Amino acid sequence: MTTGLTPTEHITLNMGPQHPSTHGVLRLELELEGEVIVACRPIIGYLHRGIEKMAEARTYPQVLPYTDRLDYLSSSSNNMAYVQAVEKLLGLEVPERAKYLRVISLELNRIASHLVFLATFANDLGATTVFLYGMRERELIMDLFSMWAGARLTQSWIRIGGVGADIPDGFVDQALAFCRLMPKRLDEYDRILTGNRIFRARTEGVGILPPELGVNYGASGPTLRGSGVEFDVRRAEPYEVYGDLDFEVVTRPTCDCMGRYLVRMQEMRQSVRILEQCLKRLPEGEVRAKVPRVIRPPEGEAYGRVESPRGEFACYVVSDGSPRPARVRFRAPSFYHLSVLPRMLQGWKVGDAVAILGSIDIVLGEVDR
Amino acid sequence: MIEELRSRFGEALLSAEQVGRELRVSVAAAALPEVAAFAKEHGFHYPADITAWDAGDELRVVYRLVDLASGEHLVITVPAPRSGARLPSLVPIFGGADWPEREIYDLFGVRFDGHPDLRRILLTDDWEGHPLLK
Repeated sequence: MTTGLTPTEHITLNMGPQHPSTHGVLRLELELEGEVIVACRPIIGYLHRGIEKMAEARTYPQVLPYTDRLDYLSSSSNNMAYVQAVEKLLGLEVPERAKYLRVISLELNRIASHLVFLATFANDLGATTVFLYGMRERELIMDLFSMWAGARLTQSWIRIGGVGADIPDGFVDQALAFCRLMPKRLDEYDRILTGNRIFRARTEGVGILPPELGVNYGASGPTLRGSGVEFDVRRAEPYEVYGDLDFEVVTRPTCDCMGRYLVRMQEMRQSVRILEQCLKRLPEGEVRAKVPRVIRPPEGEAYGRVESPRGEFACYVVSDGSPRPARVRFRAPSFYHLSVLPRMLQGWKVGDAVAILGSIDIVLGEVDR
Repeated sequence: MIEELRSRFGEALLSAEQVGRELRVSVAAAALPEVAAFAKEHGFHYPADITAWDAGDELRVVYRLVDLASGEHLVITVPAPRSGARLPSLVPIFGGADWPEREIYDLFGVRFDGHPDLRRILLTDDWEGHPLLK
C-alpha cells in the first residue's frame, strides 16, 4: 500500500479553533513530520472584542466591568490590577478592612481557577473523574462569590477605593469551613491523580521550558515557577496586605508539565493558608474610601501589577486629566505563555501538544482582549 | 544607572527620572537596541510589558523591563510619528518582544525592522487601518 507520503514530507494540521483541548477559540497550526511536531504557529484573535479601545470611551468606573471579561476564570485579579493602577494615579489610600477582603477574594479566585485547571488538565489526559471532583469544590467557592457579589464569574466586586459592599453575615464561617475542607480534598486529588502511572508518563519530562527561555519570553506565574524561578508578584511587589502574610512561593525545578501541575497543586494549599490568616485577622471598619463622584486623575501613568492564577497580570493606565482614560492596556500572562509555546512543542508528538498546552493554563479572554 | 546611561548614550537619552522603583527614561529610536542590550547586561532580563499609546501629536512606545533579582523597573519610552513609524525590533534581545511588537503593528501601525514575522495578530489579515490610533 502506498500513501504517497515519504517520511521527510511535512503535513500541516490545524488544532482548533474548535478543539476541546484548546479551551476556547485558539488555533494551533502544527507542522508535522509523521507524528512529530516540527513547528507550531498559534493563531489568536478569535475572541478579540476591542476592550482596550472601548475603555477610551468610558469613564474610569465604567471600565471596571470590562475587566471581568478578560481572564474570566479570575475576574478579581483583573479588577485588582485595573483598580490598583487607578488608585496609584489618584494617590488613594484604601481602608484596612477592604484590603483584607480583596486578598480573600483574590485567593478564593486563585483556588477556583486552579481547580478548573486541575479539572480540565486531568480531563484532557483522560482522567474524567477528576474533572467532576474539581468542579465540585469549585462550586463551593462560587457560592461564596454569589454571597458578596451576586455573581459567580463576573464579580466587579473590587472597586476603586475599596470593595463594592461588605460581606454578608455568615460569610466568614462558611469560608472557614471551606478552608477546613479543602486540604482533605487536595489529599484526595493527589491520591487519585498525582501518582497515577499514566498521568505521570504523560507529564514527567514532557514540554520542557528552560528558566532562561521563560524569563526571556516574559513567562510568569506557575508556568515560570515550574521551571524553578522564584518570581511571584505577591512577594516581589506586595500589594494590599500580602506583605504581612505568611506563605511560601512554591517552585519546582523540573521545567516540565508535572512541575507546573505540582506548583498549582501546592499553591492551593498556600492560598488556604492565606485565607485562614485573613479571615481570622479581618479588622472592623469601612470597606470603601471616599472617592469623588467624577474620577479625574491627574495627568500621568501608572502600572498596576498583580499575581493572577496565571502569572503577572498588569494594567497600564495613562491619564490626560480628563474623566476618561487616555489609554488602558492589559498585560495578560497567557499572551506571553502562548508566544513561547512553539518552543515548548518542538520535537514532541501531537498527543503531547494537548498536555503541554494544558500545562500552561491559558485563558483566551485575556489573550485576545 | 542614570549616570551610566547618560555618559554612555549622551544625546540619545532624551530624559530620565527615578519614580519609586521605576527608572523612567526616554530614548531616541536609533539608540533603542543598544539601550535594551545594555539593560539586559545589567540584570533587566524580564520583559514585563511592551505597549504603545497615542499621545495626540505622536506615539509613545513603552518598554518595561524588570530586574527580577532587585525588583527594579526600567521603563523605556520611545517617541514615534503617528503614521509610517519604523522602530528597530527587540526580538533578537528579548523573545518576549515578538508578540507585543506584532500587536503594536496591528493596533498602531508601527513597523519593526528586523522582526522575524511581522503580521497582524489580533485582527484579521484583511483589516484596514489601525484601531488604537485616535
